[in-house]
Amino acid sequence: MTGTPVVFVVDDDPSVRSSLKFLISSEGLQVESFDSADSFLRRKPPDAPTCLVLDVRLRGLSGLDFQRELAAKNIRIPIVFITGHGDIPMTVKAMKAGAIEFLTKPFRDQDLLDAVRIALERDRARREQEKEVADLQQLFKSLTPREQEVISMVASGMLNKQIAGQLGVAENTVKVHRSRAMEKMHAQSFVELVRMIEKLKSPSEKAS
Amino acid sequence: MASSESVRKIDNRQLIEERWRTAFENSAIGITMADFAGRYFASNKVFQNLLGYTESELYQLTFLDVTYEEDRRANQELVKELVEGKRQHFEIEKRYCRKDGSLVWVRNNVALVPGMADVAPFWFAVVEDITERKQEESARRYSEERHRLVVETASDAVISLDESGAILLANPATTRVFGYDPAELIGKPLTVLMPEYFRKLHDDGFRRYLTTRERHINWQGTELTGLRKNGHEFPVEVSFGELTKDGHRVFTGFIRDISERKQAEEFRKQAQKAIQTAQAELARVSRLTTMGELAASIAHEVNQPLTAVNNNSNACLRLLANQNLQPDVLRQALEEIVADGTRASAIIARIRAFIRKAPAEKNRLDVNEIIGEVLAMMGHGFEENRILLQSELAQALPLVLGDRIELQQVLLNLIMNGIEAMTAVTDRPRLLWVQSRIDESGDVLVAVRDSGAGLGLEGDRVFTPLFTTKANGMGMGLSISRSLVEGHGGRLWATPNSPHGAVFSFTLPVAAGSPS
Repeated sequence: MTGTPVVFVVDDDPSVRSSLKFLISSEGLQVESFDSADSFLRRKPPDAPTCLVLDVRLRGLSGLDFQRELAAKNIRIPIVFITGHGDIPMTVKAMKAGAIEFLTKPFRDQDLLDAVRIALERDRARREQEKEVADLQQLFKSLTPREQEVISMVASGMLNKQIAGQLGVAENTVKVHRSRAMEKMHAQSFVELVRMIEKLKSPSEKAS
Repeated sequence: MASSESVRKIDNRQLIEERWRTAFENSAIGITMADFAGRYFASNKVFQNLLGYTESELYQLTFLDVTYEEDRRANQELVKELVEGKRQHFEIEKRYCRKDGSLVWVRNNVALVPGMADVAPFWFAVVEDITERKQEESARRYSEERHRLVVETASDAVISLDESGAILLANPATTRVFGYDPAELIGKPLTVLMPEYFRKLHDDGFRRYLTTRERHINWQGTELTGLRKNGHEFPVEVSFGELTKDGHRVFTGFIRDISERKQAEEFRKQAQKAIQTAQAELARVSRLTTMGELAASIAHEVNQPLTAVNNNSNACLRLLANQNLQPDVLRQALEEIVADGTRASAIIARIRAFIRKAPAEKNRLDVNEIIGEVLAMMGHGFEENRILLQSELAQALPLVLGDRIELQQVLLNLIMNGIEAMTAVTDRPRLLWVQSRIDESGDVLVAVRDSGAGLGLEGDRVFTPLFTTKANGMGMGLSISRSLVEGHGGRLWATPNSPHGAVFSFTLPVAAGSPS
């Protein structure tokens, strides 16, 4: 089950921070704000879609440095940057590193809210996909080693006869392993099973 | 008769002898006689005085006794030749040793008078005191020697010419300076040592000087160009002197190779120029960055509360639209809006106080001078942007009372704006006019006109802080410039330029006591 989406705001200016929180929550979104990158990192991530509204000019660590740090820690939270005075190279750098949007203060409220929505949607999709892969992995683990072997070969396009030959078993035995595996994986069809195995092979592939 | 005749003869001989004696005694020149062995037996006063001996003392001595040791041998040789009949008489320049031990130079004319029946042969000498001449001669020889030494060892080429311009003499240094051996140059015209283009000029000048004696160039330390034997030209410094010898004029030139000095001067000039350029560039950059940084920091400071005000107001509007606004939420939002509004004006007040705190240093200034300084600061800014600069500066502008740096900033800002306004112009010349004059009310007026895009409908809004028509502008330059001009008691405004562009003008009141 997935919880309510949360928007995190990190800005060291109290007025801006509080007004961002008020603006975003006026759209019915749950907002949590932090005065520094460190205090944000101390917050345990919720089991819900999240995004980060981040000021580029922070005390100490800059917003761009923080973006890099999050990537290094494999925290894949979508980021909406806001800045007092953003130049083009800075924007390009942030966008290349995967930022959703780069807004210059004072920005139009709709632009910010749109960016936040896109960010949350992207995070939701990512989470969904990751969950699907995790579930499939769970099911795959419930198969016997021989069943795992057989359906991997099936998914790679080998015929039952070829599999039997390679494993040194009867073709009927292969058919039994295959139908048991389909049952355990809750695959409705042969085609669905192949797609499941493909997803398992590339667990890091993003929804986008 | 015969006897009376012989008496007359005797009288006559006595008369002649008397005359000779008188002449001998009163001669202005020393006269002396010595016997064959050389012992004096007769002498006149002049001779006695010359040697400082009395007559009787002298007759105790021979000529060798009074002849200076070093000159005796030469004297004896000549005496011998005379005795041997090889010559009739001789001349000698020699030194006598006077009674007091001092030496005296003499020139003697000596004859051996042959003996007669009752008279033994004797020496007859006419003695001329030449001490003075000898001293002069020696002094001249010393001085000539000294001059020769100076010329020979001089590091400059020393070259003498005759009236035809031909080289009479060249010293050894000539080889080092021009590459010619001195012997090669003798008799050649001086013009071989100068480049082709200078030869006619020299010949004409030289001829003109010989006839008119008018000097057309400075004879002491003139810088000219020399030509080496290998064909290379090099800078020289030349000094001339003139001297008349036996009715002929001789010119002597001292020629110094100043290649190294010139090169050092050139290096120094270049270094100085580089320093000046660097200083102007530094001044320009520091002005620009100060403006830019100030503007950026103001923008950021003011942006924060403005962003908060925007966010809070927009949030309230959204909640209102959804009919979802609780009074205490509204109150809190409004309180924050007020607080942020207050914060923004506090920032502005702080900047104002800061600007006021730095007291402007007011001096009497020439506005044209400031225009010149700012144009210099721009450096290559005009060329780089292909801008044609025209300045029309009124002569003898009255002085204004102002802060040089602030007025430079204002002018620099207006010029930079003008240049930026023309960067997109490609279909007409990019013209920037800078003008200074007295306006109708007697103030000094400075105008900066461009042929750029112009202000359109924006008009006076360009002076509003944070307003900008530029892609990369901060919107602070003109508002700061206006407050700086107003701080000087003047005005800054913009008008459209015809047919293209804008004119930014500012006035400054004339300083009290300045002639207007």
